[in-house]
Amino acid sequence: MEPLEIAENIREKFPEEVLDVREFRGQVSVTLRKDRILDVCRHLHDSPDLFCDYLVDVCGVDYLGRKEKRFEVVYHLYSIRHRHSVRLKAEVPEQDAEIDSVTSIWAGANWHEREAFDLYGITFKGHPDHRRILLPEDWEGHPLRKDYPVKGPEKEWSGFQDVLDRAKRFHEFEWHEPGE
Amino acid sequence: MMTTGSSHYDLDRMGIIFRGSPRQADFMIVAGTVTKKMSEIVRRVYDQMPEPRYVVSMGSCACSGGIFNTYSTVQGCDTFVPVDIYVPGCPPRPEALMEGIIKLQEKIRAEHFRWSRWR
Repeated sequence: MEPLEIAENIREKFPEEVLDVREFRGQVSVTLRKDRILDVCRHLHDSPDLFCDYLVDVCGVDYLGRKEKRFEVVYHLYSIRHRHSVRLKAEVPEQDAEIDSVTSIWAGANWHEREAFDLYGITFKGHPDHRRILLPEDWEGHPLRKDYPVKGPEKEWSGFQDVLDRAKRFHEFEWHEPGE
Repeated sequence: MMTTGSSHYDLDRMGIIFRGSPRQADFMIVAGTVTKKMSEIVRRVYDQMPEPRYVVSMGSCACSGGIFNTYSTVQGCDTFVPVDIYVPGCPPRPEALMEGIIKLQEKIRAEHFRWSRWR
């Protein structure tokens, strides 16, 4: 199916969910409300002429100061049987940064959603293992947010501070060339 | 590092043989970016090595953090392990690493009291 036809199919099925359909270089993005994302994905996955059985990627985006709703969760879907693909974008506001998890449809979304949670702080409701994936578990903040300082917060992460303190403590036991 | 160790450059001919465990090693090569999360493990590997022990920091990232001056990267592994030889380069040529190791051998040879019984 052509990408725009897929977008039309989604719009027919969920007319109040679709906010915008955009095409660029043959790729189609469908912007959606976040509330029924699970139903839209289930429809794309189950209906035989769409059959998007492969979830290529789930990622988060931060549009701080550029859009009214700060975050977006982007799903890239592909159908191995029909060889067509479509991109879904779900808008997520900052105050209520929560969206349904799609792990019940594609198990592969598990780690991608954990990554989006880790780096953007978007919560995925119904996720089976909702933890940080890349950063240490006691890390504060979500580093890919645009208002996160690139060099990190003033206060050093406690785990690395422990390593530095231990290195300092062990320094006196190191061997030094006499007269150095 | 793999190229330097394998037949074309061949570290074995200088008597340098990779060991599977830090407990059998004389020196370690820190190769690649050290993240804050990984620093604890690097330090533990160093602590497991028997004395006398040496550290070669290989590549820009291990030496100084390289281009990654960010929240997650350590700005040089010398912040938490004592480094003897810095091999810069992104990545360093095999010749550069070999020269670094030869320099380490020279440094060890020039040490006077470390290897005696009365240190």
